[in-house]
Amino acid sequence: MNPIAALRYGWNVNVLGPAVLRLQRWQAQRRPARWDTRYLAPPLRIAPRTKELVARHWLAGRYASGYRKVAWVTSGAPVELLKALDFYVLYPENHAAICGTARLAVDIASEAEGAGYSRDLCSYARTDIGAVLSGKTPVGRLPKPDVLFACTNICQTVLFWYRVLAEYFGAPLVLIDTPFVYTEEAAEHAVRYVRRQLEEAVPVLERIAGKRLDERKLRRVGLLSKRASELWLEILQRCRHRPAPLSVFDQFIQMAPIVEMRGDPETVDFYAALLKEVDERIAAGIGAVKNERKRVLWDNLPIWYRLRYLAEFLAERGVAVVASTYTNAWGELAPLIDPDDLWESMARTYIYPILNRGTGHKLRTMRQMVEEYGLDGAILHSDRSCKPYSIGQMDQRDRLIRELGVPALLLEADHNDFRVFAEEQAATRLAAFVEMLG
Amino acid sequence: MELLPTIPSRTETLRAWKAQGGGVAAVLPIHYPRALLRAFGLLPVEVWGPPRVDPAPGAAHLQPYVCSIVGNALSFLLSGGLDGTDVIVVPHACDSLQGLGSLLLDFVRPRQPVFPFYLPRGRRESDLQFLTEEFRALYGKLAAATGRAPSEAELMESIRREEEADGLLTELHRRRRALPLTDIAFYRLVRAREYLPAEAFSALARAVLDAPPTDPRAGVPILLSGIVPEPMALLDAVAEMGGVVVADDLACCGRRLYPSGASPDPFRRMAERILNGPPDPTRGSPIAERLRHLVGMARETGARGVVFYDVKFCEPELFDLPLLRRGLQEAGLPSVHIEVDLNDPLSGQTLTRIEAFLEMVLTLPPPPSAAGEG
Repeated sequence: MNPIAALRYGWNVNVLGPAVLRLQRWQAQRRPARWDTRYLAPPLRIAPRTKELVARHWLAGRYASGYRKVAWVTSGAPVELLKALDFYVLYPENHAAICGTARLAVDIASEAEGAGYSRDLCSYARTDIGAVLSGKTPVGRLPKPDVLFACTNICQTVLFWYRVLAEYFGAPLVLIDTPFVYTEEAAEHAVRYVRRQLEEAVPVLERIAGKRLDERKLRRVGLLSKRASELWLEILQRCRHRPAPLSVFDQFIQMAPIVEMRGDPETVDFYAALLKEVDERIAAGIGAVKNERKRVLWDNLPIWYRLRYLAEFLAERGVAVVASTYTNAWGELAPLIDPDDLWESMARTYIYPILNRGTGHKLRTMRQMVEEYGLDGAILHSDRSCKPYSIGQMDQRDRLIRELGVPALLLEADHNDFRVFAEEQAATRLAAFVEMLG
Repeated sequence: MELLPTIPSRTETLRAWKAQGGGVAAVLPIHYPRALLRAFGLLPVEVWGPPRVDPAPGAAHLQPYVCSIVGNALSFLLSGGLDGTDVIVVPHACDSLQGLGSLLLDFVRPRQPVFPFYLPRGRRESDLQFLTEEFRALYGKLAAATGRAPSEAELMESIRREEEADGLLTELHRRRRALPLTDIAFYRLVRAREYLPAEAFSALARAVLDAPPTDPRAGVPILLSGIVPEPMALLDAVAEMGGVVVADDLACCGRRLYPSGASPDPFRRMAERILNGPPDPTRGSPIAERLRHLVGMARETGARGVVFYDVKFCEPELFDLPLLRRGLQEAGLPSVHIEVDLNDPLSGQTLTRIEAFLEMVLTLPPPPSAAGEG
């Protein structure tokens, strides 16, 4: 560890940074709501804390180099191993989403496009590669990775993308390859394969971290990871209540900690507080949409640069988007995590994300959500940047309409690249969809 | 100059095979255990699109941003193009093929049983073990579908046949420039491996390899990279413009020059062969390894430039492209990138770009230690 880097980290991350962030939180708590409260509930009280928590995470990253080992990680990766080895964990996908929400993604992605990366590639990847090439980022500075840790359970794109990062940084790439589960159950040899890779990753990560993996610490991290995921799932399930206390647009914003801070004690505290606030909303009869007439499902990633637009457009028409296959993915596997049998349960947990399962499984999940959440319709975001999530949607939409009698809309867009979002066309289609809801 | 033995067409091959009582497996790209299918009496017939089909049936299931290989394969299936096949095998090569395999199982549900399988993205011992087990699992499914259970000796015999064919295929690639074949004839021959029984392919390959060598074909030597050289008229056009393809890194051709395996276990041996094949992004090969491979091929064959000929929306290709092109440039090898849709005819724009590229290549000094030029 570099002593100057340690001092810099300690001062900025533990002293100065928190003070500034607390001040910003105080200011945020006094700022009037930016989203239209004629149709939407006032912002969650916890929102400034979310921002502070996330900002602190990125602040720690900004000063991590030389003080902590840094791992760049895919969002579905078994992060518990890295947390137990004290890596600072950075999620390029989350960074890209932050760029998307701030509407900086296209500018940053253009840097990658200028270097030859096609606009047909995932816009998260282009945003991230653009940030690497240009240094442009809304989070101050991205620390260089000491290791790249990619898990194919969300897509193969991450592997192609991380191979590129490996070349730019000269950093080792540790791969956890998770065979796609075409049928209801993963083959036992596939689970064994994932487990073997997890075990094989340990000596590599230990060498980079410069320390041995402490199994007790790993178990503690596993417990925290499980608890945070359980709380997140509980929060989502509260949206079965009418009116739903949260919309998926709230969920998209509040999910940042479960993705990038899974395994940290602060994350458990944060979601316990959010759950409490959600319960208070239910007790007070507060719905995320003031005049909740219809309830619908969201499938696929968010359209980060149009969250507010979509939330307000739908809320104005009394439509609450209350459930999402995407936000659900970060909670639904919580029951599989077993801290007493962590290696085996990690292998099973990380092979079963919805994105690593068949198109029929996703339809079953959607059907179940339609029933459990009392949904009147579904919006399927056909995301040009996410083929594994999007392929199958045309049949899923047809089945929802035909078999459940639920109106379903395929909304063409991209999660980060607003150049492919035709707002007028989207508005026309959404308006027609709302009419069909009745 | 041309001395190409008659190559039976796909239709003729399938008809003859069926007439002998054999079954046919339609196989999607890219890597799969041919020997395993053959041991069950199934002739693997590959489906690389095909080009120029009516895309409408597939478009009812797939968004327009899915590549035309996958879209066309589904259209072809839905319009009866695979009616003569008995099983459909879908190797997991990318997210789009993953989606196709899943769609077939869950929604399209063709008459034939569908067998997807996963290819690991590394070359570690754990990858080898997994692929070995994956092939054992596929054996079980094929046994259930066909009612047959080939013995280990039958599997080894089937592997031996395929290894022999692949050895000859590799030799064809190695000696391609001195063979009495134009580029298009060469690719018609090597791509016959996509549907001919191994022994029939081997006989054809031997006939060509046994012919007296000719003088190396003249022209600007280029290396072709990408997925599939469709439309094949591209190759004639390149020749007319003064180019000659001296090596390739095509997913359907050069990336499948599998070495023989070593293991006495047939399943492990089939896995070894695929994992030890040339670098391929769909198997997770590092970009640096791909670059070394391309530069090495260019050095060996005297290629003066590289044409990246990709199918639109192909992520595995597109991610590697900028770093490969930069590395090639640093090695003195210019490159050009062309994207096509399998349903589009060969466009004037594509031809102009290739022509301009060939002209540009000629103005540059040959890369260091190139073997020669036409």
